[in-house]
Amino acid sequence: MSDRIRSGNRWLLGAGLALAFAGAAAAEEIVITDHENREIHLDAPASRIVTIPMPLASGVIALSGGTDRLVGLNPLSLTAIREGILGKIFPDAVNISDAVTGTDFVPNVEALAAVNPDLVVQWAGRGPEIVDPIVNAGLNALLIKYGTEELTRQYMTMVATAIGKPERIAELVDWSDVVQHDIEAKVASIPQDERPNVLYLGRSLSDITAAGDTGSYSSWYIALTGGRNAAAELDGTSSINREQIAQWDPEVILLNSFEPNLDVNWVYDDPILSLTKAAQQHRVYKMPLGGYRWDPPSQESPLTWMWLAELLHPELFDYDLRAEMTKAYKTLYNYQLTEADIDGIIWTAQQGDSLGYDQFAAQ
Amino acid sequence: MSTQIDDGGAIAPRWRPWSRTGFAFASFGVALMVAILVSLCVGRYSVSAMTALHILGEAIVHPGQAIESMDQRIVLLVRAPRVVIAAMAGAALATAGVALQGVFRNPLVSPEVLGISQGAAFGGALAITMGIWGVPLLGIVFIGGFSALIAVGMLARINGQTEILTVILSGMVVGSLFSACVSLLQFIADPNSSLPAIVYWLMGSFATATWDRVLVSAPGLLLGIALLWALRFRLNVLSLDDSEARSLGARPDQERWLVFVLVALIVGCQVAVSGIVGWVGLVIPHAARLIVGHDHRRLLPATALLGATFMVGVDTLARTLTAAEIPLGVLTAIIGAPAFALLLRRHFKDREAT
Repeated sequence: MSDRIRSGNRWLLGAGLALAFAGAAAAEEIVITDHENREIHLDAPASRIVTIPMPLASGVIALSGGTDRLVGLNPLSLTAIREGILGKIFPDAVNISDAVTGTDFVPNVEALAAVNPDLVVQWAGRGPEIVDPIVNAGLNALLIKYGTEELTRQYMTMVATAIGKPERIAELVDWSDVVQHDIEAKVASIPQDERPNVLYLGRSLSDITAAGDTGSYSSWYIALTGGRNAAAELDGTSSINREQIAQWDPEVILLNSFEPNLDVNWVYDDPILSLTKAAQQHRVYKMPLGGYRWDPPSQESPLTWMWLAELLHPELFDYDLRAEMTKAYKTLYNYQLTEADIDGIIWTAQQGDSLGYDQFAAQ
Repeated sequence: MSTQIDDGGAIAPRWRPWSRTGFAFASFGVALMVAILVSLCVGRYSVSAMTALHILGEAIVHPGQAIESMDQRIVLLVRAPRVVIAAMAGAALATAGVALQGVFRNPLVSPEVLGISQGAAFGGALAITMGIWGVPLLGIVFIGGFSALIAVGMLARINGQTEILTVILSGMVVGSLFSACVSLLQFIADPNSSLPAIVYWLMGSFATATWDRVLVSAPGLLLGIALLWALRFRLNVLSLDDSEARSLGARPDQERWLVFVLVALIVGCQVAVSGIVGWVGLVIPHAARLIVGHDHRRLLPATALLGATFMVGVDTLARTLTAAEIPLGVLTAIIGAPAFALLLRRHFKDREAT
């Protein structure tokens, strides 16, 4: 036990993200510094965790290797579990309480107390209204910031430390690093004008939204995989109209995985969008939905990057996405993906005809 | 009945010379035409003005021609329906504002005061929650607005009479109730699908305008405007004291309700296709009153023209200023509120001077 904590500490100190004092007297105490520079002290690894930020529910499941430690989550996390593969891998997950928070991240203190958590993960930087109720109830709140790959690695590390499994996050970070550097090295030589204009639409069906470069994770992985953000001129996430999309004329359109009724035909059936280069060349893709949605950062993000890299520059990359997914799901969830699972995650039935999707087809 | 008040001498406060009014109307007409043409020629997608006009001319000369190129689709399928809906909505909302201000004899009244907008918003939010769009959505929106009106009517009717004050108070009560219901729907809506749809729709936007939506909203909006225009003499009478109006042969109670129904029709149709758009019904009538006076025979058409011009102009700004769509409500308030403040000051200064 102490060995495990010590090895974790070395890694954490090196990363400069969190401090855990494994003093001789209190060998078991875990100390974590969160994204608001608060110190959280745990006498023992957290075994009952509530996650209020959406992407973290599946993160805790992946880090702890099961659903045992997750006792409460955001209703939207539960939706993603139900719609995606996690509901199939962990049928019990759908019974985890989603009464602990509203979708607006305001905690329900009574429901929180009822599940008796030893750690509650909440968003940082969104005001005290969503944090104070947790702290006032005498519960441990770990506050995390959203947005970049770096922040994601930091908060995943905090959670891994909290549950006493730092080796899990080390493994994940190593994998992310390898994939990221591999992709970076390969796209480095691509001249700017050969990088396709990629438009990620965060919303489509009622309001159409896109995001500029600052604070957008999508724009980060578009750049990583050798694309250019077609909406770079926007400042943050904004509503846009079809005319603006026509003007940008993106070569690739990525649709969000959040809206259940959205598929690529939304673009092909639209009088304006169907004339964009992306639609003309059949390069419209809906983001996959696996253990979590592939649009925001999560433990599965390296798969997002491989998927997108293969679609943007198939000549440069030869990832075997199906094999990579199988391997990752075995590591993350100890689950053996079937061919049908993979097709479901990457929406083969809906967009198997899209350009470049044949490389993902089952052998 | 209208013959009694046809010459209007006693009702219209003061006749302004026709030449001046004629000039004002000519300018309004020209301004609207210019606004529409400019709006069709500008946008985020670069089509040169000449090309846009050419496309427009072709479409008018040879209607029904296949719309092939991106330029044609942008002008004829994106901009044209948007301009048409904006113009109709602006004209109708402003007309509704004038009518309400007339019958309430209060220049600060707008459809929100009667709870109609809130009722319509509730209808729409309910429809979106249930996954209903298109014509059925319009139906539910209209039913929502209309039931708010009926609720106000029942609340305000005491001993067979409706006082204006009780109508306004009832409107506030009913409006608040429907607002709360909208909040409740937002609370229970699915945050991944229906919630953003409701929020976006309530914020007000013409971005989703299509010819289908023009067809859906046009009959109600145009009928509303036309019938209010037909009631122009009545509106003149209703802006007098109830006793005076009765002595002129009007039945203020019933006729007021006729106006309310038309306003509900207009607001329902407008909200259904473009969400809640504020300020137009308040600012435009005041501006028009300053130019053509209080006589509804001139005020109504002037307001309609100005309202259409204003709405087309504001919507053009909303969709062209930045790559992001600027919410319409924000622009109408930013332009409307200061304009309204100026008008109010001028109004009271003028009154003191006389």
